[in-house]
Amino acid sequence: MISQINAELLKVRSTRTTLGLVCGMLVLTLLIVILSGLLTHESGLLSKRDQINLFATGGVSLIFAALAGVLLITSEYRYGTIRSTFLFTPSRSRVVQAKLAAGLITGVGFGVAAVGLSLGIGSIILSARGIPSSLDTGDVLLLLFGGVAGVSLRGAVGVGLGAILRNQVAAVITLLAWDFVINGLLFGLAPSVGRFMPTTAADALMGEKTDHLLAPAAGGAVLLAWTLVLAAAGVATTLRTDVA
Amino acid sequence: MTAVVVAESLTKRFGSLLAVDDLSFTLVPGTITGFLGPNGAGKTTTLRMLLGLAEPTSGRALVLGKPYTQLEAPALRVGAVLEATDFHPGRSGRDHLCTLARAVSLPNSRADEVLKSVELQTAGRRRVKGYSLGMRQRLGLAGALLGDPELLILDEPANGLDPEGVRWLRDFLRAFASAGRTVLVSSHVLAEVAQTVNQVLIINHGRLVIESPLQELTRRIGGTVRVRTPRPDQLEQALAREQLEATRDDHTLIVRGAESDRVGDIAFAAGVPVHELVTEGSSLEEVFLELTSQGATAKPPTPTSERIA
Repeated sequence: MISQINAELLKVRSTRTTLGLVCGMLVLTLLIVILSGLLTHESGLLSKRDQINLFATGGVSLIFAALAGVLLITSEYRYGTIRSTFLFTPSRSRVVQAKLAAGLITGVGFGVAAVGLSLGIGSIILSARGIPSSLDTGDVLLLLFGGVAGVSLRGAVGVGLGAILRNQVAAVITLLAWDFVINGLLFGLAPSVGRFMPTTAADALMGEKTDHLLAPAAGGAVLLAWTLVLAAAGVATTLRTDVA
Repeated sequence: MTAVVVAESLTKRFGSLLAVDDLSFTLVPGTITGFLGPNGAGKTTTLRMLLGLAEPTSGRALVLGKPYTQLEAPALRVGAVLEATDFHPGRSGRDHLCTLARAVSLPNSRADEVLKSVELQTAGRRRVKGYSLGMRQRLGLAGALLGDPELLILDEPANGLDPEGVRWLRDFLRAFASAGRTVLVSSHVLAEVAQTVNQVLIINHGRLVIESPLQELTRRIGGTVRVRTPRPDQLEQALAREQLEATRDDHTLIVRGAESDRVGDIAFAAGVPVHELVTEGSSLEEVFLELTSQGATAKPPTPTSERIA
């Protein structure tokens, strides 16, 4: 299993797609945290809630990690490398498990980079503007570890989704529609349901304080459940499908 | 000798299309088998079932005594290339090989070795995007060789190769099999493999048409004799009396299953003037076309069969 995970991580590293995703993620994080840190009136940055939401900008990495996860499996179907992957590792459940693990590990990398960046730049901006921090150590740790865990699980959710759909375009569109349309609509119109979506659960896990969000632990549990369900469905689909 | 590959009544059905129909054959070690048939005959589907990528509707396929997916580390014993284009365009050839090597715990140095053996060492660090089709074919082959296999399964490896590339492939396969290893190579063009293989499996519409050593096939086919005469009707009747069949094209008769001496004698005895008498070595290509078109008349190809190839 270690060899398979190694192989999957090399696949992630050896194309420029991942580099592109990381760059996009960092630029977006930087842009949002700088703009909202500099343009928000001081009164909107004093409370604990406001500061956490500023620092949680790194949460934009959620979608990038999920995309990396989706691509980790769908690009194999798109370019046909899935054939040699299965020839070298005929146990398909092992292949998908290795990809899930690689998705988690990639997500950790994305999460550390993005959450670290938003936390670091956010703090610099606040102190430069002379705004005192209202966060305690627990808040910061939750942001860091909850954030990274959330992004990491989101990577694995992407792998599961990709394994179920296999078609790259369909999977990417589904992911984007789910995150930006369905998630937003559900959380806006029916927050009691919307808060159980993967992205909102991940926001909760980071300690974000938007209304209706679940408690961090509950958010983590919900996100973990999503990961397990999609992973199991992904394995099941992969097992019973012929490879063209 | 123990069989390297055994197909037992392999059958694959896609909806209403029977892509592979009750196909059985055996490959023994040290042979190079040409797996032949027109496009859409079911070759690729068969290979996919051998390699555990597709599940047979019925029947089974054994590779080295077991279904492929139940072999311990199959990539170290069986090398296969199904598509020449199975690479991520943005990944370098060497990285592609390294991802495969890692999955079976082989060192990266093994990737460099196989790159060298297919003469791609200088291009290895470039992205596959810039590779020619011939280079991609060789990169695929390099992947198949990573595990130093005893059986090589190649689907249409000569597609897109220039004549030099075809010759390179031929020499390569011969050298591979001379060490007692086994090759199964599919092609829709017999000429590509005729000089390399020592056994042929011909399929059409998913059914086995012929399984035979190449020499025996050539012998069985024999040659034909072409006779040009101003009185073809009379000669045709004379030949028929000797139980010889001839196909006729205007004033020319093609006689099957007889030497030119005998045909000349028959013509002389019948008093038929002969303007031309030629022995024609029936090429394997003609036989191949004949064998595969017989089935085609019995069961016309459907548009969907192309997709199955």
